[in-house]
Amino acid sequence: MIEILLFFIGASLLLYVIFGGADYGAGILELLPIKKQMRAEQTHVINEAMGPVWEANHMWLILVIVILFMGFPLVFTTLMTSLHIPMVALLVGIVIRGCVFTFRHYDPLSEEKSQKVYTKVFGISSLWTSLWLGIIVASLNRGAINPKSLDFHTAYIRPWFGLYPLMTGIFVALIFAFLAAIYLIGETTHVELKKLFARRAYILNILVVIAGGLVFLTSDLEGGSLLRDFIQHPAAIFCMVSATFMFVLLWFFIEKRKTYHARIVAAGQATLILAGWYLLYAPNALTTTEGPLSFFSAAAPPATLLQLVLALLVGSLFIFPSLFFLIKVFKINKPARSGHAPK
Amino acid sequence: MDDLIAARSTMAFSLGFHIIFAAIGMTMPFFMTTAHFLFLRKKNPEYLELTKMWMKGVAILFAVGAVSGTVLSFELGLLWPGFMKHAGPVIGMPFSWEGTAFFLEAIAIGLFLYGWDRMHPWVHWGTGLLVGVSGFASGVFVVAANSWMNTPAGFDWVNGEAVNIDPVAAMFNKAWLHQSLHMQTAALQAVGFAVAGIHAYLLLKGKARHLNLMALKIAMAFAATASLIQPFIGHFAAQKVAEYQPAKLAAMEGHFKTEKAAALYIGGYPNVETQTMEYGIPIPGALSFLAFNDFNAEVKGLDQFPRELWPPVAITHFSFQIMVGIGSLLALVALLYFYFLKKKNIPNWFLKVLCGTIPLGFIAIEAGWITTEVGRQPWIIYGFMKTKDALTPVPGMVYHFVLFLILYIFLGFVTAWLLKRQITAAQKKFEV
Repeated sequence: MIEILLFFIGASLLLYVIFGGADYGAGILELLPIKKQMRAEQTHVINEAMGPVWEANHMWLILVIVILFMGFPLVFTTLMTSLHIPMVALLVGIVIRGCVFTFRHYDPLSEEKSQKVYTKVFGISSLWTSLWLGIIVASLNRGAINPKSLDFHTAYIRPWFGLYPLMTGIFVALIFAFLAAIYLIGETTHVELKKLFARRAYILNILVVIAGGLVFLTSDLEGGSLLRDFIQHPAAIFCMVSATFMFVLLWFFIEKRKTYHARIVAAGQATLILAGWYLLYAPNALTTTEGPLSFFSAAAPPATLLQLVLALLVGSLFIFPSLFFLIKVFKINKPARSGHAPK
Repeated sequence: MDDLIAARSTMAFSLGFHIIFAAIGMTMPFFMTTAHFLFLRKKNPEYLELTKMWMKGVAILFAVGAVSGTVLSFELGLLWPGFMKHAGPVIGMPFSWEGTAFFLEAIAIGLFLYGWDRMHPWVHWGTGLLVGVSGFASGVFVVAANSWMNTPAGFDWVNGEAVNIDPVAAMFNKAWLHQSLHMQTAALQAVGFAVAGIHAYLLLKGKARHLNLMALKIAMAFAATASLIQPFIGHFAAQKVAEYQPAKLAAMEGHFKTEKAAALYIGGYPNVETQTMEYGIPIPGALSFLAFNDFNAEVKGLDQFPRELWPPVAITHFSFQIMVGIGSLLALVALLYFYFLKKKNIPNWFLKVLCGTIPLGFIAIEAGWITTEVGRQPWIIYGFMKTKDALTPVPGMVYHFVLFLILYIFLGFVTAWLLKRQITAAQKKFEV
């Protein structure tokens, strides 16, 4: 039963990264400088590409939260207590970007000034939120979570404060921006914009690799065990190495303008990175100063797990077909735009 | 402000903010779908205009509802880890179903908003309906989770731990049905009157008379029907409260002394020191009748409970009176509406009345939630766990409160400003 739940947690996280992550990335890309006449087109492309899937992409995070608080209450409450501050920072970001993206699209008077403000806020909040996501992820198994401490600093600051969590945050933001750049190449017919996205994808790909190296380095500098754990874990090494070398394939597809192939390869890279990380620590949910807390020892009673698995399985019967329909309508069918569609 | 009060205020404010958008998100899609249905059947382009106008409102308000709901799911752990540690496994089930329903809603709203001309018109219409149906279902599930805090079920409490957990029994606890019915009907009322009121305002300004009248009629069909049913549901709910949470009922009514043929007070100030009701208008025997269908029945007063287990009496009483007062008023307006509808003539003064009802339903919803939440205090799980024992150990909750206060007030203003821009833009369009 717990294995099924671990699968759902992993799958939801993965889908959140490869779909929701690109939404963050698009916001980050909008922060980068661009020629004035291309900015409006870029915003238009991003609205059209992300609008239909925006709310659905956000749901994977909710799913993880629900699985945690029903199935693994101890994990949930420990995270929400020891990582209270980064969680609040994350929430503020989620609230702001979730609203401003929709507001920008549905402001009936799309004059330049207000659009500029929306875009700035959307960009900054997307960057902010992805940084905190990375910080939280890095804090899980950093071993600094200290639920028993009564000292404010060791209980609520030290668990997440440091160079390694920050670097992970930057790494996550770069991956998100990279995914967005790759996905967006195929969303526009504007030649120059296509070129711009492709150029940014190249640069971001290189930056992701460098940042990935720095994540290991910073962990090592602060005495963390990431590198040591990693070297002893062949499957994790395999994931990271293949993710890194898939860039050759990716660049080939981008050059050939095979946008679908490029998307799949980029999502594959993200999947491998996430899988490597997940494998490294599974089945541990988090590591406190007293040692790891396994999902198996933090699980709710069997009757609850059964109901949770049932809800997830039955829910999947509804969700996956509708999700497939959503993707089919907007990402595969792609009919010519008509003037009938409301702004 | 101590941490407990700050955390409770944060939760109250987050819920109070979210509930407005949640109520709109789960009912307004039905108005929109009705207009869309009429367009598809009658091909009158005005119905299409109306569908799209409402659709934009739904889109904006849904976005705010989705993120403020996310905040709540985190806050359960951020503020009340002591509660979630025990309650998560017991009441997780309605939350997991809520997650499913909300997921479907999120997919459906993407399909509906962006799917014009991309699928068969009736399939597209169906996606709009799905937004409403799944939104409505997720509302029922969340209220079921809340109702468990009032009438806990599906576990045994042994040495401060929940054991023998039965999530199904927890979800279908004694309060889930009346709470859900009451809330969902209230949402229809609040949103219906608000929408009807806005269109009544536009009618008074003489803008696009036909379209605004159609809009008003659709919204009022939901609002007025719900308003006539709600008194019965409310009565049913109060009887359940009398049965399962006598202390809450006593606080709601400012009923201090256990007695037969208990009087119901209209208005009045419950003086906790003297344990009397001051300045209220008593209706003899009415409370006994309302609670137990018998004018002579004995109604438990607050004197049956130790003082430290009393909820804050004045807040519970006032908010309950506000809710009942507004509910009665809206029922009256609903009756008038049906009368004018039958006469096929809605006078201008009645349109003005409708303008006045724009905020009323929402005020009643807030007052109702204050009644049920404050009335449950000092318990977080009624009879099992006190709210203070569920509080997070993280200090400085007041900063958390101020942060979300500022964020939500700002967000509220931006949303209102944007909606106003939408309405202005729509009006300009008609003038051309």
